Amino acid sequence: MLRYTGNRLQQSVVLLFLASVVCFTLVVSSPGNVAVLIAELRGMIGSPGYVEQIEQEIGLNKPLLIRYADWLGNVIQGDFGISYRTGHDVNADIMNRITVTGMLVAGGAVVATVASLVLGFIGAFWPGGITDRAVRGFALVGASTPTFFVGALVIFMFAVILNLVPAVGFNGLKSWILPWITVAVLPAAVLSRVVRVGLEEAMASPYVLTAKSKGLSRFRIMFRDALPNITPIYINALGTQIGLMTAAAIIVEPLFAWQGMGDYFLNGVRFRDFMVVQACLLLFLTFFIVVNLVVDLTVMATDPRIRRQRSGA
Amino acid sequence: MRPLVSLVTWLKGLPRITVVTVSLFLFFGIFGPWIAPMDPSAQDLSLMGQGPSATHWLGTDHLGRDTLSRLMVAANTSLTSVGMVLAIAMTIGITMGTIAGYCRGWVEDLLMRLVDVGLSIPSLIISLAVIGIVGPGYWSMVFALALAWWPMSARISRAVAVSIMNKPHIEALRVLGASPLRIYFNHLLPGTIGSVMVYATADAGMAAIAVATLSFLGLGIQPPTPEWGQMLVDALPYLESDPRQVILPGLALTAAVIGFNTLGETIALNRVPKRLSRRQLLTRRMEVAGWHKETSDAA
Amino acid sequence: MQHDATLKVDNLTVDLLTSKTAVRPVDGVSYSVRKGECLAIVGESGSGKTVMNFAPLGLMPAGVSTELSGSVKFNGRELIGLEDGELRHIRGKSIGFIFQDPMSALNPVRRIGRQIAEMAELHLGLSPSAAEARALELIKLVGIPDPEARLRQYPHELSGGLRQRVVIAIALAGEPKLLIADEPTTALDVTVQAQILRLLKDLRKRLDMAMILITHDMGVVASSADDIVVMYAARAVERGPVEEVLTQPRHPYTRALINAIPKSSDTVGTRFRGLSGMPPILGAPNPGCAFAPRCDLAVAECRHTRPLMSQATHSTVRFACPIANTESEIHGTGTCS
Repeated sequence: MLRYTGNRLQQSVVLLFLASVVCFTLVVSSPGNVAVLIAELRGMIGSPGYVEQIEQEIGLNKPLLIRYADWLGNVIQGDFGISYRTGHDVNADIMNRITVTGMLVAGGAVVATVASLVLGFIGAFWPGGITDRAVRGFALVGASTPTFFVGALVIFMFAVILNLVPAVGFNGLKSWILPWITVAVLPAAVLSRVVRVGLEEAMASPYVLTAKSKGLSRFRIMFRDALPNITPIYINALGTQIGLMTAAAIIVEPLFAWQGMGDYFLNGVRFRDFMVVQACLLLFLTFFIVVNLVVDLTVMATDPRIRRQRSGA
Repeated sequence: MRPLVSLVTWLKGLPRITVVTVSLFLFFGIFGPWIAPMDPSAQDLSLMGQGPSATHWLGTDHLGRDTLSRLMVAANTSLTSVGMVLAIAMTIGITMGTIAGYCRGWVEDLLMRLVDVGLSIPSLIISLAVIGIVGPGYWSMVFALALAWWPMSARISRAVAVSIMNKPHIEALRVLGASPLRIYFNHLLPGTIGSVMVYATADAGMAAIAVATLSFLGLGIQPPTPEWGQMLVDALPYLESDPRQVILPGLALTAAVIGFNTLGETIALNRVPKRLSRRQLLTRRMEVAGWHKETSDAA
Repeated sequence: MQHDATLKVDNLTVDLLTSKTAVRPVDGVSYSVRKGECLAIVGESGSGKTVMNFAPLGLMPAGVSTELSGSVKFNGRELIGLEDGELRHIRGKSIGFIFQDPMSALNPVRRIGRQIAEMAELHLGLSPSAAEARALELIKLVGIPDPEARLRQYPHELSGGLRQRVVIAIALAGEPKLLIADEPTTALDVTVQAQILRLLKDLRKRLDMAMILITHDMGVVASSADDIVVMYAARAVERGPVEEVLTQPRHPYTRALINAIPKSSDTVGTRFRGLSGMPPILGAPNPGCAFAPRCDLAVAECRHTRPLMSQATHSTVRFACPIANTESEIHGTGTCS
């Protein structure tokens, strides 16, 4: 088990390294001279020698490998450089924004997990019944509705028609509700299907026949025998969905006029602010790598078959 | 004739919702620009934000443009973009997948590791990163989405290619001295393309969402070309006064995606036996009712 | 005579309805088993022997609708028509089950101790810690070495034979009156088979249970059963005390079946004596005798009239072949009962 954890950690470090190379290369290989771009942004394009001055300033004339090493060294120390567009410190910006996105994704993950487990279980418990059809309907529609449309509908229903919660902006816990629902609909739909289908398959397996022969109730069999068997699949799917929710933050934050990482990344892309794109991309990739690592280790901890197989290897 | 018959029987086996929504999407996607009753970009500020009327069946938007016409033309925009994205993605994916399936060994390991990494990053983030570098625009959107989409088809085509390569007739061809190129182009590639296309079609719904999302963010299809995501974001400031303009394009897109997603579910294997419907149960009961029940023991 | 029957099945018919087909895997079968005795049910795969024992207790896979008729009495209580909730109290508590494949019969992600103990908790009303103690007792009873350690292990860490012992321990945990074992040794190594059979026989004697042993192995029947029911295509063709049926088979199918067993007197190179033809595919019930197409005694009548189970002359054996019965009557001495 320790050995597997070690291998998996090693793998993650390699992936992190690759992610950093990709992020660095993307910006280096971007078309157009960055120095000219910065000069343009600062409105100094006319002044002679200014472009060269910027080249000097950001080290454009050094060899690539040295530039990568410099950049990586700074990044590891938490220095992502300065936004070309605004001149702000990128890490200061990120610090201001990362909690918003973190809370958004974490809250969305909680909503999606609870909703999907409850809905999937109910659906599988009375298969073919009205609740099952409702759950499957939700799974289909929820997985097919684009997040931006979900957001628009949620705002329309709760904020415009019912006037229950503020539509946009940020004041207090109430303003979290709509964004959480918006990011959670798609994962809840996909995951409830995972639970529903997984439980149905598990309920058809031989060990469930054994459990039935013990005289256990259907609820108990489903909860104690079938559910633990789908945990590994579920955790895997949840990991993927958490990644997708991070992407959904890019849509949801502008929709609710929030300033989080998604919004930051989007603006970076819009205004081709390479330092911001690079920093956000690196953070997103790091997050995915960490989520994947956590998922794999959790799956191993919950599935005794894999636990033995991997630690024995 | 026979492929046509089998196509019809296949279509009959599909859920009705799939057939209706997908064929509507394809119909408007192909003929939208010709059958749209009005010019989708003809503005008439005197008709701003009107409700349904005899001339404008679904009303007009905030610039007085006919919503129905815009929805129809947007289907065309969506279909062409999705088609292009999938075509490019499949070309890359099938090439990579078949090469991996043909070569095996370290080439396969390397390519599939790349695919795994690609699949673990949300497509929106990949495509935004690409757009961030090359700048927004129609072609950079298509290119960016294709780049985010190819790992999916690569994974499927590798699986198909491996199963083809393991078939005895390929082994026989090798023994008979067929050249690797001949095996690749005459046997492996044609066999893979067919099955990958079926799966990729089921993925078209997600690609349509991706196109609409980028357009919603202002980084995909640019005005005045109508597109559902972009229509929705255009109308968003008027959500309170004219919600129809937000809801209609959203519904159109969702309906199309539901069609493709149900198609995908039908294609995917279902290992659990289907539960009897009430009507099936009745038919079976009638069948059984005709069977004799007699005492098997003599006195 | 059969007042003390633990399980008495009378003219049981089972119809299975699925979305694609309707079949009748059990067609008018009767048998009974008494306390302390073992009844073997023998037949080819697909002859309905498993369904016959599982369906009345509500142990059928999802997606199948089961229709039962006839009578199944457990200790005098009619099981057909009971709600699943009531059947549940009988399953496990009064009737224990052992399955064919111990590899898949145990839940792979739960500890063995829990899987045994939950039975004791549920049916004997024990506290979790008392149930654990009971699980340990049971695991010792079924002869698993190093019992304390085994309780904390997961199924995949055990060999097939040990897993089957765990399955048996689970079946015994509710202190059942009847044990139904569905091919308990088929999936095991030959050496382990004998151990498991010996264990089952020993437990049955010690705990004074009735047992139904479903098998297709005549060797297993001879070594462990008191009575036998031979099934062919959803119907019972012969039933009676084991020693009589095995030494003096009367129904043509039973004869062919026993004849097919390789004998030690066979010289090397003797051709394997199988049955010619294929067993029928289950569906609508056969109007005549299902074995007629493969039977060398068959006459035209066999294809149209269903042969009834009737008593053999001078014996408690009943079998379903009027031709063979009259034949023996001609050669024999007695009269038909």
